[in-house]
Amino acid sequence: MFDVNEFILKKAKELGFGDVVVLSYETNRRQVRFANNEITIAKNWHERKVELFVEKEKRVASTTITELSEENIERTLKTLLSNMKGMAPKEDYYGIAEGPFEYKDIPETFDKAIVELDEPNEYVERAINAALEEGAKRVAGVLYTDHNKLYLTTSNGVEAFDEGTGIEISVRAFIGDLESGHGTNSVRVLKKFDPESAGRKAGEIARLARNPEQGPEGKFDVIFDPLAFANLLSYMSFMTSAYAAEAGFSFLVNKLGQKVANKIVTLKDIGNLPNGYGTRKFDDEGVPTRETTIIENGTFRTFLLNTSLARKYGTETTANAGLVMPHAWNIVLEPGDYSKEELFSEVKKGIYITNVWYTRFQNYVAGDFSTIPRDGIFLVENGELKPIRNIRVSDNLQRILENIIALGKELYHIHWWEVRTPVSTPYVLVKDVGITRATK
Amino acid sequence: MHELVEFAVEKALELGADYAEARFEEKNGTELVMKNGNAESLGILADRGIGIRVLVDGGMGFASTNVLTKESVAEAVKKAVKLAKAASKVRNEPIRFSEEDFHEVYYEVKMRKDFRDIPPEEKLELLKKVEEEVKGTGVNVPMRYLMYSDWMWHKIIAHSDGGFVESYIPRVSLTYNLVVFENGQMEQAPFVQRAFSGGLELLEKDEPWKWAVKDVMALKRLIYEGQKPPEGKVDLVISPEVAGIAVHESVGHPYEADRIFGREAAQAGESFVKPDMLGKRIGSDVVTVIEDPTIPNSWGFYLYDDEGVKARPRYLIRNGIINEFLTNREYAYKLGQRSNASARAINYNREPIVRMANTYLAPGDHSFEELIEDIKLGVYMVSFNEWNIDDRRYQQRYIGREAYLIENGEIKHPVRRPILEITTRALWSSVDAVGKEVEFYPGTCGKGEPGQGVPVWMGGAHARLRDIPLRRP
Repeated sequence: MFDVNEFILKKAKELGFGDVVVLSYETNRRQVRFANNEITIAKNWHERKVELFVEKEKRVASTTITELSEENIERTLKTLLSNMKGMAPKEDYYGIAEGPFEYKDIPETFDKAIVELDEPNEYVERAINAALEEGAKRVAGVLYTDHNKLYLTTSNGVEAFDEGTGIEISVRAFIGDLESGHGTNSVRVLKKFDPESAGRKAGEIARLARNPEQGPEGKFDVIFDPLAFANLLSYMSFMTSAYAAEAGFSFLVNKLGQKVANKIVTLKDIGNLPNGYGTRKFDDEGVPTRETTIIENGTFRTFLLNTSLARKYGTETTANAGLVMPHAWNIVLEPGDYSKEELFSEVKKGIYITNVWYTRFQNYVAGDFSTIPRDGIFLVENGELKPIRNIRVSDNLQRILENIIALGKELYHIHWWEVRTPVSTPYVLVKDVGITRATK
Repeated sequence: MHELVEFAVEKALELGADYAEARFEEKNGTELVMKNGNAESLGILADRGIGIRVLVDGGMGFASTNVLTKESVAEAVKKAVKLAKAASKVRNEPIRFSEEDFHEVYYEVKMRKDFRDIPPEEKLELLKKVEEEVKGTGVNVPMRYLMYSDWMWHKIIAHSDGGFVESYIPRVSLTYNLVVFENGQMEQAPFVQRAFSGGLELLEKDEPWKWAVKDVMALKRLIYEGQKPPEGKVDLVISPEVAGIAVHESVGHPYEADRIFGREAAQAGESFVKPDMLGKRIGSDVVTVIEDPTIPNSWGFYLYDDEGVKARPRYLIRNGIINEFLTNREYAYKLGQRSNASARAINYNREPIVRMANTYLAPGDHSFEELIEDIKLGVYMVSFNEWNIDDRRYQQRYIGREAYLIENGEIKHPVRRPILEITTRALWSSVDAVGKEVEFYPGTCGKGEPGQGVPVWMGGAHARLRDIPLRRP
């Protein structure tokens, strides 16, 4: 689609725009949704679209063009131009990156076998059967295959192409109304895809969760399964964007250089993570993606930035554009040195939370939130697991980070409906987590 | 476009579909953001395409395209049919749809002030007005995130059972996030939205800046005068805004039939409600909850759903008794009923699924003063920030943003973050009186995968809950 990009750039320049970014997508996405051990719907999306960002005298505008005829492109550019007249300039706009850049291929981000995969239903059946073998009665979930082509052209000399694939599954297994478990698997190359592992994990947790009793409330040492902790880190990833901080949606406001987590906590965004579901070669300005340390040994090092925000704060872009709003690609919590068994044996009396959902903040700048464990929840007492139900985590995000006392040594890459920014995290042990429950 | 939609349906039938539905959608609009006084960006929305959903041998397939040529649409139809066929092999029982009456219908929502005729800088004035009014309070509000959006939503839906619906529904919305910092303390009103289906005049008449000023003043007062809320068993009066979130989360969602039958199990969850609970008591006599897409100018407005079924008010709870579930044709068939027109899709590239529209606690016969007057010790919760509910929709929590102590029948000083954490049955069984006036608040309801955030209104009348275990942070 570079011919389309070139045409748009040429016309935009003729109309007098300054910075121009043309990001074209060709995507093929398939979905198979299933519930009650059967497929509820299968879908296919084929889409061609252009995301367009333009600037003129510090006025910025954006749109998406889906009808790519020359007439429509010219009409769209003229509409943007006329709409921008009379708009107030964005006083803190400082431009886009200067290209060209050199790009490296990132391992395990493209696999022809996924492009050529005719029929993914067999993977769904394998996941369902693995959960049923573990004792589940009802299995639900979703499988996706992805094939994306990305063409980027900017007015600052960037012309870049990336092509990626992916396949992922999310499986939730049920025994009764109150006993369930969840497992996921998200990869970029077919040979690493393991739908059975997701089904087995979902089924196993559901089996262990049978006959749960009402859970307690108070302060407890909590082991967060990677699925559960990924949810919290996914919400937090938004708060690491400088844009979110300026808009009042981050507890990291005014905390650069300060301690915001236990010293064992190092949190990164890795845009070029091999086999990462959010991995891309370049950001929306064409800057090659890279590894950025957000929290280093407990100290907050940087917000995620694009070029304009970086210049505003006198620093360098972190290659996280979003032209208006920088965002994370793959959040990674560095692992520790505990095996899963060692982590559980650390807890004399605590709670193991396998999954959470519905994380909501009382106050973003303070970081106060609650989230609801779903699927298996267990009291952990001297290495034994006893299923419980109906509790809520009610705490503060910074306090949770400060109270992390042990990290597992294996990383799990999580991406599903509730974890939209992919997160790699180990098992995490947090002391004194606030747990509440309804008493009526 | 009508021809292309009809062509898609015919093509699907030709390829062996037992049922076919084609939906063209077009959205055109504007989005403006102002952050801390800076005009941040102008977004132009221009999106259109066709989605095709088919049933083949009891399997369901869906495909969409934004390339609006016969070739491209035919290709999408072929894919949908192929996917449905393959899906039918992994089913225990075939999907069937309920019988309905269908019509050929055209309808539109008129705008007195058509936002399409108004340049962005004039719309930006609305955000500037919020800025000015908030600044005019003299309260320190260091973070101000304001967003305006409008779009015209055009749909053409045809299906093989004979229905044909075309609609034009304009939508306008203003959202703000305000952080108040006074006296070394900080309070926040995040993502407060005012929104309607109709023209710009509705937003202007609503005066969102007044809501913003009210929030800022309440938060300032909370900082200077706020005290701990009472703990333990007290009475609680919830405002229409809090009643709205409560009926949405603990009545609307668990009565969605696709959830009851497990179709959303892996995402938005299942439900504590089972089909045999129709006719069973869930709340006190004074609790009636209505779901009504047809309220004029409401944020969740529509007259025909995306399966072509005519909308009507749905009484989910009538005098404390579970009366009706929200259904589409698939789940109406399973229940042996007619659909009550709850099938909605957020865009051409999404399937219609069972959704709410405008959910509210129906009015009772108490004035606000009557609700308050015999409360010895209680709390009045006016607005909320943090809220959530488990995925069976039974254990929920709402934390007050603006809230006041009630003592001996009078409203006193503000209280900080009173927490209502309660089960659904206890919540609706505790209501002993409901106010006379109904108000609505907009929201975006999330469900489905990929996510489909649909515009909804939530609201109702004030309600009094007796003997509620209230918590402090």
